[in-house]
Amino acid sequence: MEPFVALAPGAERNGFAPMLAQLVRDNLTERPNKKDTLRRMRGRVALVIEDLELVVTLHFHDGGVTVHDDFHGIPDTTVRTDAEWITKMSLIELEPRFGLPDPRGAVAREVAKAQADGAIKVHGALPRLPLMLRLTKLLSVVG
Amino acid sequence: MVGPMSTGHPFPSQAWADAFRDAVNANETYRKHGRPWTFGKVAMAVKAEPDRGIPDDAGFVLDVHEGECRGVDYVKGMDAMQAAPFIIVADYERWLTVIGGDVDPIKAMMEGKLKLVKGALPTMLRFVESSRALVNSATEVDTDLDAPPEPPL
Repeated sequence: MEPFVALAPGAERNGFAPMLAQLVRDNLTERPNKKDTLRRMRGRVALVIEDLELVVTLHFHDGGVTVHDDFHGIPDTTVRTDAEWITKMSLIELEPRFGLPDPRGAVAREVAKAQADGAIKVHGALPRLPLMLRLTKLLSVVG
Repeated sequence: MVGPMSTGHPFPSQAWADAFRDAVNANETYRKHGRPWTFGKVAMAVKAEPDRGIPDDAGFVLDVHEGECRGVDYVKGMDAMQAAPFIIVADYERWLTVIGGDVDPIKAMMEGKLKLVKGALPTMLRFVESSRALVNSATEVDTDLDAPPEPPL
């Protein structure tokens, strides 16, 4: 079954929600191997873009994802950062074998440093590490 | 970008389009980051606003290739832009803030103020620096903010 990418009713009022849904759809088209990744994802990830004062929740369920405006349910993981870093996170290099973030990549290292410096705050990542690794793979436009 | 008493180019207009092409080609940052771009033309569409002097949708079709802008056509109607693999749409007021350098184009897309209505978003994101450089070139164009928009021929 093809994984679905849906926009929750009313989510279009948040400009970032349709953009994120489009990004996932385009990524699945360009790199069909990401479809298996999406099918395996379960849980909720909230992305808080602090400088734009926008929040979206990605709800992974039933082999697909629904993108919501604002917080929707209790997120398993929350990422708080600025728009610039959200863009950078989509440029994280992936190693080709398993599609995991490549720690040798220039952007991956930059993002890791931003996390260490507090420019990117990720709450609840460790208990849901597989979800976060799959999210990185799903959203990456470079691997 | 200049204000009152300007001798600059009206926005949008063919004269502005030509000046934009020259500004892009003078932008070393764009030349560097845009060098891998071989994905075709990019259209910047301005939505029709008859009461602002834009009776029909209009737009600039940028023939960008490998870090060079080979031309910018100022065209009327969305149909005339369909040859471009990438189309970005905004209203007149929004484009003014973008070409004025007041808005980061990627943030504007995240806020839904600029909309990519055609083309692959991952490709645009891979070229985020060249997109910024392209827009920054627009801020170098001598724009007459007081002049009324000129419709395409």
